[in-house]
Amino acid sequence: MVAIYITLLQVFILSSIYIKMTSEDQDEKEKHSNWLNAHYDPVAGFYTFSTCITFADLNGDGDHKLVIADLGTGLYNMTIKVLKGTSIIQENTLLDLPTGVTSVYMDLAEPRTPGVVVASGSGLFVYKSMRPYYKYNLPLLPVLPEEAVLWDQANNENLDPLTLAEALDGLKKSHPTSSFTARTSHFLQIENDADARQFVDDHKHKPLKRETVITCVTTIKKSMAEDDAISCIVVGTEHKQVYIIDSEAFTPLQDYEIASVPVIVNVSGLFDVDFRMFAACRDGCVYVLKKDSLQSRVCIELDSSIVGMERIHKHLIFALADKTFSCYTTRGKQIWNLQLPADVLCTAVMDHRAKGFKAVLVGLDNSEVRVYREKNLVDIIKLNDRPQALCFGRYGREDSTLVAVLASGALQVMILKRTAEYADHSSHKGPPMSQKMKLNIPKKTQLFVDQTVRERENGTKMFQNFQHDLQLMRLSVAQTYLKGLQSSMTPLSDDPSMPLKLSATVRGIGPVFQMLLTIENTAAISLNDPKLATGLIVLFKYSDTIYSIKPLVLELPALAPEISYKFAVRIHCIASDRPAQDTITALIVKRGTKKPLVTANISMPVSEGVIVV
Amino acid sequence: MGLMDKLFGWMKSKKKTACILCIGLDNSGKTTIINHLKSPESSHQDVVPTVGFNVEKFMMSNLVFTVFDMSGQGRYRNLWEHYYKETNGIIFVVDSADKLRMAVAKDELDQLLKHPSVAAKRIPILFFANKMDVRDALSAVKCTKLLGLESLKEKPWHICASNATTGEGLNEGVGWLSEQLQTLRP
Repeated sequence: MVAIYITLLQVFILSSIYIKMTSEDQDEKEKHSNWLNAHYDPVAGFYTFSTCITFADLNGDGDHKLVIADLGTGLYNMTIKVLKGTSIIQENTLLDLPTGVTSVYMDLAEPRTPGVVVASGSGLFVYKSMRPYYKYNLPLLPVLPEEAVLWDQANNENLDPLTLAEALDGLKKSHPTSSFTARTSHFLQIENDADARQFVDDHKHKPLKRETVITCVTTIKKSMAEDDAISCIVVGTEHKQVYIIDSEAFTPLQDYEIASVPVIVNVSGLFDVDFRMFAACRDGCVYVLKKDSLQSRVCIELDSSIVGMERIHKHLIFALADKTFSCYTTRGKQIWNLQLPADVLCTAVMDHRAKGFKAVLVGLDNSEVRVYREKNLVDIIKLNDRPQALCFGRYGREDSTLVAVLASGALQVMILKRTAEYADHSSHKGPPMSQKMKLNIPKKTQLFVDQTVRERENGTKMFQNFQHDLQLMRLSVAQTYLKGLQSSMTPLSDDPSMPLKLSATVRGIGPVFQMLLTIENTAAISLNDPKLATGLIVLFKYSDTIYSIKPLVLELPALAPEISYKFAVRIHCIASDRPAQDTITALIVKRGTKKPLVTANISMPVSEGVIVV
Repeated sequence: MGLMDKLFGWMKSKKKTACILCIGLDNSGKTTIINHLKSPESSHQDVVPTVGFNVEKFMMSNLVFTVFDMSGQGRYRNLWEHYYKETNGIIFVVDSADKLRMAVAKDELDQLLKHPSVAAKRIPILFFANKMDVRDALSAVKCTKLLGLESLKEKPWHICASNATTGEGLNEGVGWLSEQLQTLRP
């Protein structure tokens, strides 16, 4: 019992401390943030995603620039912009929508300046010193022979556009849509006959090509792990392929086929030594690709679409479309899983080299960026709008800068304070620190231990004993009550024909007392039956050596219901030589019966002695 | 012998000395400013990022300045506070062309002002809004605003736009500083 009580007390104290702590935490959080708001441009008008932002030391002078591939309106005005500090210093127009931007060191020439690679459509556009340098197109895919024959016939005007459309439509039923050329897809969308004829004429002299579309681009270091070592470009395509392309000669070094369309590719290792690539695909699976085998293998199967995948050391961290945030080993075993409060929009890795830790930044739909170090939430950054793209790295001369492009097109730049501290434990989730604090609980005494042991060992027996005694007590109470009823020893009559109630009060201090008897007929009033109690007398039973009572017999009148009758009796205490006290019993008796109807025991007060004047 | 000569020289002239701390973010031009203030024959030609700190001595308007030219790189900034105690004046250099890091400069300044050994003393602070020659550099007034200097009431301060490579604005600033030092320590 004692043990339970202490536990309850403990719970109460802890909960009160917890409430106090959480309110303090919130106050503290508002007071100081770990981030400086360096720049906010609400009308920057960027439309881009995390894959299209990168930092690069474009001039090799240690002043890192921000490279943003802007999707423009989504149809027009696609550009690649270079920002230095708060202003755009260079802008180049792109022909197609960019899908990714990355910076690559392509040669060993001094000063070391990287090239910027923009993936757009089926080609890689390489810029050096922000001038167009090279355009590389991915290898063409084979055209379906039937399709080639049909177009050949159309070009030689053996086939009119209508029959061509019918034939291509027929072909479409037996082959997947992705196996056709872009020309066929465009042609089949034309409804007007004249336009179709024009289309065929326009494309007559152009070779039929089947191109793929790049879905993601990243880099892999070639033979050395330094920051400015030569890298290869890794490209994922819409046709379920992953290419590794040499950045010096622009030739494909290796290509892989996987079961689904890769959307994010993460690479670890060196191309010449050993490497591993994790390709997160549209089917929610992650495939692993290795150096020595061209076969892809399913590594992780996830329940929902992958929004972001980041690798921290040997762990893969996923943000999914169903608001889950989980961590897996590279072998596909789940380590932890968290639920996020809002939809994930973007993710980024925060690699803080000066402090030596890596964290994952998760941009959420509620305009927050959460910083997770392993599974601990270590910081929350409040942005002015929903983040669309995040990028953490060295910008300008500042090592830990977070650039966020917001859904409104705004650009927000935040700098991590020099004094920022990220504790290992989580400050927001899980039990508060106070729970680990020891309470000052008194030491267990020997008695307490003995009692607890006894209670634990003989619990059943103790309970049974208690129940047995309780039943016995109830029985004895019932027996006494019954006896009282049977012998009319109570001041209430149990006779239904003559329900009476008797009470008595004693007045005076002695030796003469007045006893006031109150008698009530408790029968319910009814109009046709008066229910009068008649023929009753009151008798007294007492010790005649102590008291004398006048009158000895009290003749009662007919008692009407619901009226209390009061009768006075004079009692004289005759044992005046000593202080006397006794009980007088008053009995109401019906004439002609032996058994009393009601009995009342009146204990008399101590009588004063006779005062002789 | 050279050292002894110098010592005797001091004894004779009994010139006042002032210990000055020169701080600011990396690449703001602290070393270049100090180089320019020194006599031309002893100044270096090319300036490289300072590692740790340099100590320079020079004379100006009857005062001997001992300047601690601190490194502004992030990893060396925690050295600054160890010199706050002995200093008589502070030169805070801001790169007025670096709008982005003005927030960082403000943060460092706030930390400086909050430090107990600075908060307790009435130290004059001289701000140089350096690199005024760069095309879209901020004006001294704009720098004042961004650094929140209007609310700095408890210390004498002064801001000058400067160009450390040509020396523009430097003498004005140091003139103010020596004036302050002489009035504060009669």
